[in-house]
Amino acid sequence: MTTAQWLLMFHITGAFFLVGGSVAAGVLNVLSQRAERPSETALFLRLIRTVLPVIGIGSIATLVFGLWLVHELDFDFWSFWIIAAIVLWLLASALGGAGGKHQERARLLAERLAAEGDTPDDELRAILRDPRGNAMSWLAGLATLLLLIDMIWKPGA
Amino acid sequence: MIAYSRPFFPLFLHVLGAMTLVGAMLAVLVLTVAAWRRPEVAALRRAAFGTLLVLAIPAWIVMRIGAQLIYSKEFGSGGHGPGWIGIGFIVADAGLIVLLTTSGVAFWWSRGGKPIAGRLVGGLTGLYLVMLAVAWLAMSGKWS
Repeated sequence: MTTAQWLLMFHITGAFFLVGGSVAAGVLNVLSQRAERPSETALFLRLIRTVLPVIGIGSIATLVFGLWLVHELDFDFWSFWIIAAIVLWLLASALGGAGGKHQERARLLAERLAAEGDTPDDELRAILRDPRGNAMSWLAGLATLLLLIDMIWKPGA
Repeated sequence: MIAYSRPFFPLFLHVLGAMTLVGAMLAVLVLTVAAWRRPEVAALRRAAFGTLLVLAIPAWIVMRIGAQLIYSKEFGSGGHGPGWIGIGFIVADAGLIVLLTTSGVAFWWSRGGKPIAGRLVGGLTGLYLVMLAVAWLAMSGKWS
């Protein structure tokens, strides 16, 4: 295998970690919103933490091996699709972090409610269905999807 | 940098399906391991089965349709592809058996809560994730 093939393999492995981890986090987030009791909501939100290292490793690997590959293959760093990929990567990371803070707030409330009788609560329901908080996570997912489209389509390459 | 000069839509379908499948199986693994530790929470077992049914199986279908479309465009009906394509097809088709078996056992587990069923779901999910990793490494590294 050539250096470029090795780099591409690690870059795509990073992409599988990033997108796969994001999908898993999305599944657990949806499950937390559909849970009946606060203890179940808290449990699903806690489980999201277990996939965060997968997303983190994937994020770093896609960027590092992607930029290394651009250098190795002598692509122009200022090509539209490379700039777009970096912008989308930054957007996905920032929005994902903001969505995570919203989920953390919901988890803390759900754990308190679980300890105080574990009955359904309007405040928790409101936080879980808050459109602004949820929008961050969905927009992070959209940015990741656009990143994937950009990588495959390579507009301007 | 996933591909260069290859048909966009079939490749996008294939990669999106494969990555969603990996994410769905990762979620199932996380839910299953959590259910081993908290067997009294039936929601975890139901969620594992629901994720397989609603996300993993549809993702497999999208991945496989994308694979067939690319193969038809690049190698035609009578062509023989390189080794890495063979690895991809073996994992995709053998993986369907593993995926359907996992879903069947997960259904049994979600209804009865038998610990052995939970162990089987976890084992099969782990095995399938390893198979998927071999496929993506072979296909991205273009193993001969």
